[in-house]
This record gives sequence, C-alpha cells and structure tokens, in this order.
Amino acid sequence: MRPPGPPARTDDIASWHRLHPLSPLVRAGRHLVGIGIVVILLLFANQQGSQAGSDLIVDLIVIALVLGAGVISWLVTRWQVADGVLRIETGLVRRQSRRFPLSQVQAIDVVQTGLARVLGLAELRLRMAGADSSGGRLACLPLADAERLRQRLLSMAHASAGADAPTAPDGTAGQPAPSAGGPERPLFRVRSGRLAGAIALSRTGAFAGVVIAVLVVIIVLTGRPGVTAALLPVVIGVVLAVWRQFNGEFGTAVSAAPEGLRLRSGLVQTTAETIRPGRVQAVRLVEPLVWRLFGWCRLEVDVAGPRQRRENRSEAQRLRALVPVGSREDAEQMLGELLTAAPRPVRRVPANARWKAPLEYHFLGWDGDDRYVVASRGRVCRKTTWVPLEKVQSIRWVQGPVQRRLGLASVRLDVAGRRVTASIAERDAAEAQQILARLPDLARAARAGRAARDTGAGGGSSMAARGVVNRA
Amino acid sequence: MSVIEPDTSAEPGDAGIQWQRPSPLLLRARRIQAGLVTLPVALAGGLIAGTAGSPALGLGVGLGLVLAGLLGERFLARRVAAWGYAERRDDLMVRRGVLIRRQSVIPYGRMQFIDVTAGPVERSLGLATLRMHTAAAASDARIPGLDRAQAAKLRDQLAALGEAQAAGL
Repeated sequence: MRPPGPPARTDDIASWHRLHPLSPLVRAGRHLVGIGIVVILLLFANQQGSQAGSDLIVDLIVIALVLGAGVISWLVTRWQVADGVLRIETGLVRRQSRRFPLSQVQAIDVVQTGLARVLGLAELRLRMAGADSSGGRLACLPLADAERLRQRLLSMAHASAGADAPTAPDGTAGQPAPSAGGPERPLFRVRSGRLAGAIALSRTGAFAGVVIAVLVVIIVLTGRPGVTAALLPVVIGVVLAVWRQFNGEFGTAVSAAPEGLRLRSGLVQTTAETIRPGRVQAVRLVEPLVWRLFGWCRLEVDVAGPRQRRENRSEAQRLRALVPVGSREDAEQMLGELLTAAPRPVRRVPANARWKAPLEYHFLGWDGDDRYVVASRGRVCRKTTWVPLEKVQSIRWVQGPVQRRLGLASVRLDVAGRRVTASIAERDAAEAQQILARLPDLARAARAGRAARDTGAGGGSSMAARGVVNRA
Repeated sequence: MSVIEPDTSAEPGDAGIQWQRPSPLLLRARRIQAGLVTLPVALAGGLIAGTAGSPALGLGVGLGLVLAGLLGERFLARRVAAWGYAERRDDLMVRRGVLIRRQSVIPYGRMQFIDVTAGPVERSLGLATLRMHTAAAASDARIPGLDRAQAAKLRDQLAALGEAQAAGL
C-alpha cells in the first residue's frame, strides 16, 4: 500500500521517506538505559538464588517489547515535504497524519541524544506557531541529512512565510528574507573548565558538596558504607542535576546568523537552535555571590513560544543560557546583540527601603526608556532583568503594609509565561504611582512601533495582528 | 451598604481614574461564604472540645470561633470595598486588597481569554466573577461580584476590545 521510501536520502524530499532504520534503537535508548540500570541493580540485589535469572528474563522480554514497538512504529512512520507542508504519517492501529505548514514554523532544532551521536543520527524538531506541545519530530535522520533538511525547510519556511508576512528579523527588515544558514559571526563560546568551576560554585554544586560531605561524615562515623543506602535516591538526584546542567550547557556556542542568534550546546546530547531577536521576552543577568568574586556572570534569555496556553507552558517556555558562565564583557557583548542600547538599573531606591529590604537594598534599582525596562534585585545573588516594553503583558502595582508605612511600593512587569517578572521593587510611593501611570502608555507605544515596523516591512501585518506569527 | 462607598483617598495619584465597584450584593455573598465556613468549623470545634473536655469548654470554643468569624466580617467589608475596576481607553485597571494593596493594568490587546465564573453562593445572588487571562501566568486579574448580565456585557466588550487591539507576543 505504501511505497517503501528510498533509503533516507533527503535530496528528493517530495516523495515519501522513512526515518533511519536505527531510529527505534535511539528512541528507545533512554528507556533501555533505565531498564539496564534496574537490571544491574537487581542482579546485584538478588545475587543469591535462582531469582535473578527469572528477573533477567522478564527484563529481556521488556526490552524486546520496547524495541519491537519501536520497530513497528518505525515501519509505519513516513514523512514527506510537498507544497510547503511537512507531512508525517504514523501509527499502526490509530493512523495519524500530521501536517506542519512550513510558513508557521518558528524554529527548527537539530537535537542529538547521546546514543544518536554515537550512531551519527540526529532528531529534527519543528517548533510551530500555535501548535501543541509536541510540535513536529523527525527522529531520527543521519546527521548530515538532518542538517541539510533543516536548511531546506528553513529556506522554504522563509519563502512561504515571505509571501504573506515577511519574517526578516529586526536588523534586516525590508531586505529580502535571509536564506537560512548564511554566514555566521561567532560571538561567544563557553570555557569548559570555567563551566565546571562555575557549576561547582553554584547552588547545585554547593548542594552536591553538602550531600557528599554528609555521606563522608556518615561513613566515617559509622564505619559502615551500607548505612548510606537510604540516601541513594538523594545522591542520584544530585548527581543527575549536576550532570544535566553540565551536559546541557557544555560547549555553549553562540553566533550571530542572519535569522537570529544561533545557539549550540551539549556534551552528550547536543542541541542547536535559533533565537530570533523579536522573540526574546526578557533577558536576565545573574550574578551569584561566589561568582562575583571571579567576575563571572550568567546571561539567560526567556524565549516564549508564540502562544502560551496552559498545556504547553513547560515546553515552550524556557530560560536559555546564552552565556552559562562568562566574564562581564562576554555578557555585555551578548546583551548588546540582544537589545540595542539597553538601560542600566541606575535609579537607586530611597533610603527608606533599607528598613523593608535590608539585605536586598544594595542591589535594588531600575531604569527604563521607551523600549526597555530594567530592574535589578536579589539578596545574595544579583539578578538584573531586562524586559522589552512591547512584550509586557500586564503591569501590577503592589503595596504591602510595611511598604505603606515607609511610603514605598513595587511595580511588577509580567511577560508571557511564568518564569520572568521584572520587579521594580521598593520605590517611593509617588514614583511607583507615576511608573504605573506612564508604563502602560509607553508599552502601548512600543507595541504600536513594533506593529508599524511589521507593516512597513511589507504590508503583511495580518498575521501579526492575529497574534499567530510573532516575528516568526 | 455604606461600606461600599468609594474612598478616593485610598491610593495617591489615582484621582483621575473613575473606579467602578462590584455590586453591593458582593458583601452579602462574601458574608454567606464566610458564614458557611465559620458555622461548621465552630460546630465541629465545639463538639470536639465538648466531647474531649467539658460541655462548657465546647460551648466556649464554639462561641469563640463564631466570634472570630464575626471579627473577620469587619475585614470582609473592607476587602469588598477595596475592589474596583476602571475601563480606560487602552487597558483595564483592577484594584483590590486592604492589607496588601494591588493595582493591575492589563492592556485589552493582551487579554487572551476571559472567563465568567459563578459559584453556588454567587449564583444564588445573581453574581458572577470575571477573570482575565494574559499570556503571563503572573497577571491574575479578576473582578468579583459583578451582576451577571453586567459580567456578560463586560466580557463581550473586553473580548471585542481585545480583538481590535490584539498584539503578538
């Protein structure tokens, strides 16, 4: 019924293709690793008796089932690109055919899990405007094919999107849509040694250190390593947390490409993604206490999917570290790439605020112009948050009882998602009221300016007006 | 309902804003809700104390809890009075809170969807609560105690304004 696609070549993408034959192995990889660990633990646990053998058989059956299901899923999955639409058909019992119009593609990531990397495979993930959390996934393709397909899909996306809504990023508005994968200008690359040091000196690292210290103390005091078995889950959790951070941020490299900032990172699992300038909801500079001694800091961006609905918040809402750890100069340079002439939190809080927030007092500050608002706070770890006014969702003014007595108030700026709120904290009450009175107008002007630029770029404001394509 | 008189001196600098208030019935709804919580709690507390200790103790505990509820009623009135909303040209302003005062500004164009909800007590009094959602999880703006017809009208009005001014994220 279905023509068996030629071996995964992507030159002729209009015909039906299968994924790479090793895909089931890669997709099952994570489960297999978990099962493998359990098997080994069980083998150790039940060394006596014949029980181990039967457990092993059960586990082998489970593995076989997982792999078998994967193979079937591979057999019935095929994809095709035609008429500017990526189609993925899958499912044995419940056939599913999903269409991904390329004009709605927000970004295409190439992700390599550890096993996929060993096998030279990669997964293609499409992030869609207004799609549900899963988006489109092609797992797996040979790496070279995945990269090539990504380029082609991106250029097709640009071409089809350009027909009704030009999607040139800010700097190139008015020019023809840039072809994806143009020349890149390297901006930043994290130093592995520094990253390791920084994680060791971060909260995660400190927690890991405490756990290890506790373990050592317990073992030394009791002389029996066996007592620590109860702590095993904690240890595994801590190790995983440290590992996840290191793995995720290892080798972070950022470069400026025509379509936005290209971000690549990962040790075992590598990801590559593009952050378009217009999609940055907030930028945050984090300077923990210990890092400040070394002059290190971290720069994160909040990138939202174009539509935030309840179900896919966790997927679409991520804080990506563009500079996992770097010097102030690195962060400043990156900030300059993200925001033009970003203001600094130079407006200090009134002396009264010392009573309300004695620990935070020295870090509190804000400033704003007609494009951005910046606010800094933090007791031990200084966090500076920049929010483009055009991204502000709502503005809240808050005054607690202590603040009222001291004549203070705070103003909070919310952006899409639940991660970032810029808090202009502990301002003089009159100033806060003034901020509350003026910011909505400034934000509206910023939104209008954005809309005008959209329209000016080619008269295609209909998509933007519908809120479907946000600077795609 | 004298407590629902507008007190324009509540916050500095908002003189120019025409605050609209929830229906006076909201206070009654809140009182009923508080009573529905207080009475069973007082009853249960009294019974437990009465069976565990002496009947006098039980009576004392029960009355004490009722008294606490009555004291709470005074705060209730102030909290209800603190609610207010203002439809401005480009955004909706909502204010609330007595101890912690809050004012939220939500641009019409940012509203993603608007709920009208009504619990059993509110429904029996013909009231409804309007809840505005933006893409930001933190912006939680709601207007309780609206007349049901008024709530529906406001909802449609806000939705229309939102459509007209919708902005991408």
